[in-house]
Amino acid sequence: MGEIKEEDWHLPEIKYEYLDHTADMQIHSWGNTVEEAFEQCANGMFGCMTDTDYIEMAETQEIEAEGHDMLSLLFHFLDEFLFLFSAEPYFVAKKVEILEFDKEQFRIKARGFGEQFIIGKHPQRHEVKAITYSNMQVNQTEDGLTHIHVIVDI
Amino acid sequence: MVVRQYNEEMSYLEKTSAFSWKIKKGFQPNMNVEGVFYVNQHLEKLMLDELRNACRPGMIGGFLPGVKQIANVAALPGIVGRSVGLPDVHSGYGFAIGNMAAFDMSDPTSVVSPGGVGFDINCGVRLLRTNLTEKDVLPVKEQLAQSMFDHIPVGVGSKGIIPMNARDLEEALEMGMDWSLREGYVWAEDKEHCEEYGRMLNADPSKVSMRAKKRGLPQLGTLGAGNHYAEIQVVDEIYDKWAASKMGIESKGQICVMIHSGSRGFGHQVATDALVEMEKAMKRDKIETNDRQLACARINSVEGQNYLKSMAAAANFAWVNRSSMTFLSRQAFAKQFNMTPDDLDMHVIYDVSHNIAKVEEHMVDGKLKTLLVHRKGSTRAFPPHHPLIPVDYQLTGQPVLIGGTMGTCSYVLTGTETGMKETFGSTCHGAGRALSRAKSRRNLDYTQVLQKLESQGISIRVASPKLVMEEAPESYKNVTDVVDTCDAVGISKKAIKLRPIAVIKG
Repeated sequence: MGEIKEEDWHLPEIKYEYLDHTADMQIHSWGNTVEEAFEQCANGMFGCMTDTDYIEMAETQEIEAEGHDMLSLLFHFLDEFLFLFSAEPYFVAKKVEILEFDKEQFRIKARGFGEQFIIGKHPQRHEVKAITYSNMQVNQTEDGLTHIHVIVDI
Repeated sequence: MVVRQYNEEMSYLEKTSAFSWKIKKGFQPNMNVEGVFYVNQHLEKLMLDELRNACRPGMIGGFLPGVKQIANVAALPGIVGRSVGLPDVHSGYGFAIGNMAAFDMSDPTSVVSPGGVGFDINCGVRLLRTNLTEKDVLPVKEQLAQSMFDHIPVGVGSKGIIPMNARDLEEALEMGMDWSLREGYVWAEDKEHCEEYGRMLNADPSKVSMRAKKRGLPQLGTLGAGNHYAEIQVVDEIYDKWAASKMGIESKGQICVMIHSGSRGFGHQVATDALVEMEKAMKRDKIETNDRQLACARINSVEGQNYLKSMAAAANFAWVNRSSMTFLSRQAFAKQFNMTPDDLDMHVIYDVSHNIAKVEEHMVDGKLKTLLVHRKGSTRAFPPHHPLIPVDYQLTGQPVLIGGTMGTCSYVLTGTETGMKETFGSTCHGAGRALSRAKSRRNLDYTQVLQKLESQGISIRVASPKLVMEEAPESYKNVTDVVDTCDAVGISKKAIKLRPIAVIKG
């Protein structure tokens, strides 16, 4: 757990949306860098679970994830945050920040700013059961943006 | 995926009777067996529309239509008979939802696939009866709905109120409903009316990750969100008086309680862990599938065995979960009517699993074979005289519980001999989604959905009211179409129709 500094109170612009899917939820996020797209994707996942406007940034939680390629890294990165929510400390993040991103070894260190999920304070939305590899994509477009598509099972 | 024009695709599909279609080999590569799906006119249109949409030019791989997924399953190693799509089939993760497939245990190449079970392992439905009638409940309906809502933790982030520590969890995972019985949450006869008597004996908690246990512990005894619910229902119609009386249902107007829930975060994590493991095993054993989502492992491999043992633990978790909510429902009724659950005759009619893989014996080409039967969004429906169904139902066939969606009817069916032959003793599980969640949100307004329920005389208590349109009947296939198709094909027979008067959900 780290200290929340002055500059941490800045909230990023929302760069994620939810796309059509029959049974589940597809998150589409984007950013100027891969890091930003990853951060936004995690924000999007927390947005599935609750209304992030109601989350106070009272504490921070850090995760580490690794994979063997970009997609498995994304999978584990999101899965770590899902786990923080699903068990002790039942943490929901208002925003996620990537601290280290090793694109060769496929390792990430990231920090979430938020608090413990409390029924009554935080509106209950969807229950994310699992992150899936279903049609998972990390793409770079010509304008230099990185786009991520992930389907979460709900 | 093979990309062809819709007309060309249709040449691989053949309507073989008023309610069934054959999927011929070649529809997808390497199909070992043919596929089949059962639909009536309405459902047929939904099914073929889904395929037509996927064939549109410029379609960037959104998701595979259900009919393609049934065919991909037919290409898995060791599959026997046919890959079956039940009337409520729709696109899912790897397997379609409403898909069953059986694999020959004596074939060393046969596989087990977590995608063929689903993330919510042993998601299922339990039905309790009461000796109350609609007349008794109507005056206190709102209070009773509120009391059920207060007793049962619902929605994302909710925590169970049944006291549990890590050691209790280990025991519950191993013992299933025997744990619930020992701790005094259920009655001995509840077990009798449950698939596998509420306990899979091959469960091995030591094969389950710490992560799954950590997710499971706080969630035991919680309903969950999405399409899970607890409902107070009224018997609306009795089609088979004799079968109904065997289930303790004597007349229209009788009150029942239906609980639809699964293994919560525990099962979700077991499935996630297995998928990661199996990806590696597939590379090692050089198992090729048409779709990366169909991660699987040979039944006899370490990964296959570990999955089956941890899946069994998750199945036990789900039974303990539904049992805990049975206890809470009985408490809510007992307090409201100031009578014991026993005096209210709140017996479990039956408890079915609709996301599970089981070892069963079936006839294949005239020979008795031991099979690993995957049922994903599909319910076991064994015929009369089958040794694995309880004494009380030996003559009627196994009760099959089909949960509707919020505000629609639910059904009790019974298993048949035809089902045993045609679909390895399997039938549908519910309505099956028709609209995407986003589309439901765009087309429907939550206040209208809530008003409509109210005008139908249905009390509702829901943790996320702004999302109810996603679960509105309009978002689903018509459960009556689904059940009527099963009845017409003969894979199960209608016995009772139930209509909700109160819905509690996440």
